[in-house]
Amino acid sequence: MPDWRAYVRERLRLPGLRAEREVEIIEDLAQQLEDHYRGALERGALEAEAQAAAEREIQDWDALAREITRSDARRRLPVDQQVIERLDSTGALRRRTDAGRGPTDAERRSISAKAAGMASQLLADLLHGVRLVYKSPGFTAAVLVTLALGIGANAAVFTILNAVLLRPLPYADPDRLVRIFESNPQRGWPLFSASQPNFLDWRDQSVSFDRIAASTARGLNLTVNGEAERIPGMSVSHDFFPLLGVEPALGRGFRPEEDAPGSGERVVLMTRGLWQRRFGGDPAIIGRTITLDDAPHTVIGVVPEFYWRPYELFVPLRADAAGDRSDHRLSVYGRLKPGVGLSQAEAELRGLADRLARQYADTNTGWTVSLQTFFDWTVPKESRRALHVLLGAVALVLLIACANVAGLLLARATARRREIAIRAALGASRWRLVRQLLAESILLAALGGGLGLLLAQWGLDALGVAAGSAVPRADEISLDHRVLLFTLGVSLVTGILFGLAPALQATRVDFHSTLKEGGTGGAARQRARSALVVVEVALSLVLMVGVGLLLRSLVALLDVKPGYETQNLLVARISLPEVRYPSAKEFVAFHERLRERLRGVPGVEAASTASGLPMDGNTMAMEVHVDGAGAPTDGQHPSAEWRLVAPGYFHTMGIPILRGRDLDERDLAPETRDLRGVVINEELARRLWPGQDPIGHRFHPWNAKNPSVAVVGVVGDVRLSALDETPEPAVYLNSNQGVWNPMQIVVRTQGDPSAFAGLLRGEVRALDPGVPVSQVRTMDELIDRSTASRRFTMTLLAIFASVALLLSGVGLFGLMAYLVAQRTHDIGIRMALGASKRHILGLIVGHGMLLTSLGLVAGLAAALALARLMRSLLFGVGAHDPLTLAATMLLLALVALAACCVPARRAVRVDPIVALRCE
Amino acid sequence: MFSRELKKGSTELLILSLLESGPRHGYDIGKMIERRSLGKLQLRIASLYPMLCRLENRGLIRGRWLERPGERRRRFYRLTADGRRMLLRERETWREFMVAVNRVVGRGHA
Repeated sequence: MPDWRAYVRERLRLPGLRAEREVEIIEDLAQQLEDHYRGALERGALEAEAQAAAEREIQDWDALAREITRSDARRRLPVDQQVIERLDSTGALRRRTDAGRGPTDAERRSISAKAAGMASQLLADLLHGVRLVYKSPGFTAAVLVTLALGIGANAAVFTILNAVLLRPLPYADPDRLVRIFESNPQRGWPLFSASQPNFLDWRDQSVSFDRIAASTARGLNLTVNGEAERIPGMSVSHDFFPLLGVEPALGRGFRPEEDAPGSGERVVLMTRGLWQRRFGGDPAIIGRTITLDDAPHTVIGVVPEFYWRPYELFVPLRADAAGDRSDHRLSVYGRLKPGVGLSQAEAELRGLADRLARQYADTNTGWTVSLQTFFDWTVPKESRRALHVLLGAVALVLLIACANVAGLLLARATARRREIAIRAALGASRWRLVRQLLAESILLAALGGGLGLLLAQWGLDALGVAAGSAVPRADEISLDHRVLLFTLGVSLVTGILFGLAPALQATRVDFHSTLKEGGTGGAARQRARSALVVVEVALSLVLMVGVGLLLRSLVALLDVKPGYETQNLLVARISLPEVRYPSAKEFVAFHERLRERLRGVPGVEAASTASGLPMDGNTMAMEVHVDGAGAPTDGQHPSAEWRLVAPGYFHTMGIPILRGRDLDERDLAPETRDLRGVVINEELARRLWPGQDPIGHRFHPWNAKNPSVAVVGVVGDVRLSALDETPEPAVYLNSNQGVWNPMQIVVRTQGDPSAFAGLLRGEVRALDPGVPVSQVRTMDELIDRSTASRRFTMTLLAIFASVALLLSGVGLFGLMAYLVAQRTHDIGIRMALGASKRHILGLIVGHGMLLTSLGLVAGLAAALALARLMRSLLFGVGAHDPLTLAATMLLLALVALAACCVPARRAVRVDPIVALRCE
Repeated sequence: MFSRELKKGSTELLILSLLESGPRHGYDIGKMIERRSLGKLQLRIASLYPMLCRLENRGLIRGRWLERPGERRRRFYRLTADGRRMLLRERETWREFMVAVNRVVGRGHA
């Protein structure tokens, strides 16, 4: 049978008529034509004849159009009420009247008019999109918020990832840069510092490298106008900067002769930042003399911003080939020759190390070499893993956001099926319709992406303070073009994907059946939305379980007993200039006097000094050689951390003395100050003399040739490096044995220790104003720094989990509200038939909770599977911790319940009469 | 056969009177007119439809979509209150007109 509607549509031009009126006319005429056609068939005509007979009913289409238009102009009665009400709800009415008269036939056919038409159509599409966005604020807000959250979170984490993992390191040709470590695997030191003679031998004898340079940290006291400030700096070999590819911005770098041992020239390089900050950008800085460590130094150059903050001053290293081969303090760097691979260079250096071990058996035995690319060194494996977890989390959030948006757009498309069908009936091509729908979704997506970027920038700024040392290369994090492109791409893809599917589906609909139905939306679409919600709930659960586990790890970590009293401790670092404190006498005298003065300050309970504090990031290790123990069975001598501490240190720190006594003057030889007695900790006592009283036992510190010392006391274990490590064996030596810089001052106060910072500085200044005090902080701050990285990751994940929870709640709410709206008619009937409010509530909430339960089950399975991947980040809690799982499931269920309740309550307030009337 | 103007004005009256007994759809109206006039008045859709529009726009009839069981949906037209009043008035006028014309044209029924 011929398609009479299409037949009429093609021939009848009714410009300026309202959409629904036009539709009505076309339909009526089509029906009458069909009646004539069928009538002819019934009278026995053949199909072609019948068709021709029907077609003869209308021959002059233009005249017909004119007549209809003319009579309609004088319309008094509104069109069929039913159609009006339905169409009005889709906004088609107003739009059509706004459009006014369309182009006439003649105009339409002209090509230039066509082009102008296209342009104005595009503009109209956009404006229409804007109007729609404006007209349904609830929907728009929901989509924008969802997109902003999802895309914003993505942009933020991608920014971090970009800065840390993707961007190349800011050096010339960074792929050829390597770090060279001395390695002693037997002792458990895979990556250790190098000694000066070893470094020099590598540099002189290896062939795999263009350059090999070394550095070591060297703080310097800068004195300007009598005031001393401690500046972190480095001693570097002369080709350190050339190796990195860093050119001095002013002046020149070090010359090889300035780096030779014994060279007396005092030259220094400074960073641009220091030059601006302390010297006001003095244009005559090159050649100027500044006072470092009470000695005049000549500034020979200024380097651009240095990536290894906080170092700001550089002096020549002057590595000595005759130095102590067993004193490992240097960080060594190499630039591989082109064409030489990492493993090749490593093999060569290992061979070299073996030769050195044979040559210098007593210092180099057991030492070999290990290489690491710069990248691996800058971004260690643990950080990378944390970042990958973050990436996973943010991907989940985006998926949830997309599910939300898809759901919202699907609902939207369903509600507008009638409008779309009408437009299709009016002759709008499918492409035109799809384009209009896409314009809306892309507009929304672009807006959401823009908002997301703002959110990301704001979030990064807020977290930037917290990141600091927690994230490697944190100072390089900023929104750059790559992030912008990425965000734009994600927005566009989201908008197109989730706008296109509904658009394509909606435009395939049969106009006739659409107008007939109440526009309830297909069952398939319902199922799709329900499935989306289940997925959202599952994904949210996975994310929340991850966060919950990490949270518990953090709590467990902070719960660990460090072994000493951490509160009310103020610490500071001081370094006595060698010029004025060259020998032990002056050095010890200063520190003794300082401790006395500090103890005299009201509010101070105790004060002491130590060469290093727990968790300050420094490692000082020694071998412990016990007499008579013979060659150790596992091939290595026990090693222990060692610290120089003043008498009274344990009392100040609150470390219990378990056996014997504290250090005192008896532990040093009277004139020579040689070590006689030492204090060890429980762990070392357990390892060396298990089950015995260690007091009185002796051992040789560092190596067997050193004179032995006696154990005079045993103290409790202290966690020296990190809270999640077992306490190391430790040896405490009397710090009055000689000069050691820098030293840490520890002060136990009554009450808030930070209030004493000024007093501490004052006391030091009173003794000697040329001695700078730096790194004044409380012990709690120091500990916080060691957990900073964990806390940062945790904070980010907690934010993502909250976002995910919010989005899931919103998604569920949206679906429930929509379902309720669709079933209003249904509900009205039920209530009219006597269903109680509780029954209706139960129906709706039940449906919602069913979906939620499905999601929880799916999420639980996924969480169990994925938690295993996170195991290395956890502490003190299993990957399948039941408490965490139960708590998160409960929380999510509660949120879902709340999301169902609001639409449910709205449903029971529906007036049955209203519900039944509207279709 | 009859002049166009005559046809037009009177056809509208015909439509109204046809709808007096109940609602009808377009094809039905056309067919009834043809039948009752014994084939003398054949209205194509092109002529009938604008009339229906005019009558509807003047508020004399109202169209409504109805779907009878087992049939397609069609637009059924029915008289409005205004339409009914107009019909009565026109019928009266027509009768008077017919009487006057007959008197002038020739002897007929009085």
